[in-house]
Amino acid sequence: MSDDNSSTRRGPLGRLYHGETAIDFYGRRHYGFIVSGALVVITAISLLFSGLELGIDFEGGVAWQVPASPTLDSEVARSVVAQNGVEMANAKVQTLESGELESIRIQVGDQSSEVRSAVQAALAVAAGVDINEVSVSSVSSSWGRTITEKGVRALVVFLILVSLYIAWRFEWRMALAAIMAMLHDVLISSGIYSLFGFEVTPATVVAFLTILGFSLYDTIVVFDKVKDNIERFSASRTGIADIVNVSMNQVLMRSLNTSLAAVLPVISLLAVGSGVFGVVALREFAVALLVGLLIGSYSSIFVASPLLTVFKERESRFRNLRGLHASGAELEHMVVTGNATGSKKVRRQIEVDTESSQASPVAPGSPLTHPPRPRKKRRR
Amino acid sequence: MTRRRLAITLLGLVVVVLGSLAGTIVAGNEPSLGLDLRGGVSVTQEPVGEFDSESLDLAVERIRERVDSLGVAEPEIIRQGDAIVVNLPGVDNQDDAIELVKVTGEVLLRPVLLAQVVDGLDPNTNGVSTTVAQTPTTTVAQTPTTTVAQTPSSTDSSTTLPGGPARPITASSVADSTPTTTTASDLSTTTAVTETGGPPVTEAPLAEAPVPTGIPDPSDRAATVLAQNADGTEYYQLGPAFATGEVFDGDARADIIGGGWGVRITLRDGATGADLWNLGASRCFVKDTSCPTGRMAIVLDGVVQSAPSVNQPSFTGGVDITGSFAEGEAKQLARVLRSGALPVRLQVQAVQAVSPTLGGDSLRAAVISGLIGVGLVLLFMLLYYRSLAVVLIIGLVVSGALQWSVISLLSRTNGLALSLAGVTGIIVSVGVTVDSYVVFFEKLKDELKVGRTLRNSAERGFTSAWRTILAADTVSLLAAATLWWLSVGSVRGFAFFLGLSTLCDLIIAWFFTRPTMLLLARSNLGVGRRILGIGKSVLTPGGSA
Repeated sequence: MSDDNSSTRRGPLGRLYHGETAIDFYGRRHYGFIVSGALVVITAISLLFSGLELGIDFEGGVAWQVPASPTLDSEVARSVVAQNGVEMANAKVQTLESGELESIRIQVGDQSSEVRSAVQAALAVAAGVDINEVSVSSVSSSWGRTITEKGVRALVVFLILVSLYIAWRFEWRMALAAIMAMLHDVLISSGIYSLFGFEVTPATVVAFLTILGFSLYDTIVVFDKVKDNIERFSASRTGIADIVNVSMNQVLMRSLNTSLAAVLPVISLLAVGSGVFGVVALREFAVALLVGLLIGSYSSIFVASPLLTVFKERESRFRNLRGLHASGAELEHMVVTGNATGSKKVRRQIEVDTESSQASPVAPGSPLTHPPRPRKKRRR
Repeated sequence: MTRRRLAITLLGLVVVVLGSLAGTIVAGNEPSLGLDLRGGVSVTQEPVGEFDSESLDLAVERIRERVDSLGVAEPEIIRQGDAIVVNLPGVDNQDDAIELVKVTGEVLLRPVLLAQVVDGLDPNTNGVSTTVAQTPTTTVAQTPTTTVAQTPSSTDSSTTLPGGPARPITASSVADSTPTTTTASDLSTTTAVTETGGPPVTEAPLAEAPVPTGIPDPSDRAATVLAQNADGTEYYQLGPAFATGEVFDGDARADIIGGGWGVRITLRDGATGADLWNLGASRCFVKDTSCPTGRMAIVLDGVVQSAPSVNQPSFTGGVDITGSFAEGEAKQLARVLRSGALPVRLQVQAVQAVSPTLGGDSLRAAVISGLIGVGLVLLFMLLYYRSLAVVLIIGLVVSGALQWSVISLLSRTNGLALSLAGVTGIIVSVGVTVDSYVVFFEKLKDELKVGRTLRNSAERGFTSAWRTILAADTVSLLAAATLWWLSVGSVRGFAFFLGLSTLCDLIIAWFFTRPTMLLLARSNLGVGRRILGIGKSVLTPGGSA
């Protein structure tokens, strides 16, 4: 990354660093829609056929976790539990690596407290450990339902409140776009969980909620910029596609920085916390956070903003500007100067620019040939 | 804003943060760790069927008393909606834990077979069943001096009192008529206590060490049980319950009856109400073998709340319980009776036991990986924003100190415990705080690029960044509040930390970042743009072009 002020054209990274990218997000909106549409379809199919693997906290059940020992592997554990009269048809027996420690987790349906204790004692004996080393979790199925219902209700209330807030603070079209992007995130995240058979635990839900907030935060920062720019460009006849494009390019570095700042701790949780130390609870968090973060970053760029453009295009002041949008040098000019290219003079100037720069080895939009207009503005 | 005011703001925040941090360290406050981080048992109970919220409050109080009496370090008893979550760190046997928190909320009416006043004796050395909670802090009715009497409105006029001269119906005090007051000094005498239906042992002192091989479950209605009153001043041997608190209507209230505080309550009609009550009352009144002392104990979860003497063989309409009650005692008794009229039936919904080693592993892993992650972020920020990142790092440290103080304080005062979800939430919230800085720095760069001075850019940049931060943080706060009110379990704990870190983010942005950056921008230190990682745009006239 260079930060010199030489007049030569910067490389892609340099432009990114200086916020001078000119990526035509609007022109490429169909790619985003197609990818998202495909993901949603896959999600729907996966949810329909394999469903979500819900943890005991949502469905009710009992889980024992016991340190593995030479006398106890997953097969022995399975038979120990079965000997206590527990139906093992739907049981899940996992071996969890936790650094040098290895433990076995057995998860079955709802059991009485006598059975819970009996199995706990039997597992302790089989593993040759103290009974207190065997963790037991149990959740009744009715409580599981309550948790699920309350969680869903909280989410719905949250969505309504957030829509109202965005509609009040910005406008309803932005609320609609933001909520649609968020639903898209939830849907595709659950699709990934369904597809890969990851277990949904309260930790997962917590992580998702974090990400929903985060993705919304990201979207709001972009929309805030869009709102700014709508005001800034209001004098000129600039289409909403241009405004959104300009806004996206202007906040692109921030979005990337933010996502990176959020992803780094998560990757560390995943690699160090669950990889090196092997803590399962951390893996649950980290996987959900990572999946959510990636989808959230993707959707705020490729779903939320294009959706907003599509909605705003129907607005009367932007309707007749539909279909026209700047790209290349023209877009770059707007991104960097924050001024519209509405006037014919500027437009012509840029056209000349582009032509001349195409002929020369210098890349398009060379700063040398730029109109003096901004200087005038600064003196004002 | 003047330089002076900015400096004062900054200084004020630094003083507040340093002060609270120093206070935290001096007071020795530390965030207490949740179950999933240090091992223990968590039991979630929820009421089933009909109940009212007062009964539930009472149940929570009872659980707290029982847990406190056991001396569990830093227990956490939380109401989440209707559910009661009891977290018992360090308890490793889940059956003990379930037994401990299982309160029935059921008020039993039991005849008193024997009563023994304790004088200045440590109740624990008395050999009385230790399954009964020692709750010296709760003051309930002075049982030896209470009586039960017909409400004045009733038509029954039987007024004969046991062991005493005839008194008015609403006799306020019959202290001399209770047999137990005279036996306080006979504690050393050992007398075999017979099982239910044994001979009348009215005046016999309570056995010194009557602990039976199998302590009868105090909630077993058919058993003869041992119990004590709430402040541990009197021990009782109680016969099988003849009725529950459900014989009463839920209208018990403390009132001034005959010149002193008492409790007035209405009986329910029919076979499950007045008839049942009168059956017991008549037995106690005549002091037959099933109720030799003539007193009837009102027992809640194995603790005698009051054991008044029965003044008349039958009641219609209502009952007055009078005696030397203080106002608070009468109110507490009324509360117990009200909740007993519609007892809350708690059902264990979820039990979670975490072994201490597992919890410790999780904590260590979360902290180490979290620190590595945050370190990477800071490194990235340093590379990207150069010296501006120093402001960010100091801001993060200040924010961390603030959060540590608040969490420690709440751990001490409100029993807040830091769970794995909370730790993760905090680690992730670093991302949010960093983001606020990124928003600000990017706006600052935008402003500089258009050719504004550093001072001007910092002011304009902050104003517009603050608007964005405020909007985005409001959404986070909305999320936290919604989840806090509406969800249960670990999601709720997470919501708290999300809310806390968002608030900290706002505080840091306004009281730290703003004054620091504006002051820096005014000073000569901030002149070197290249040091700040802010290059001029090549497209603007302000550039070298």
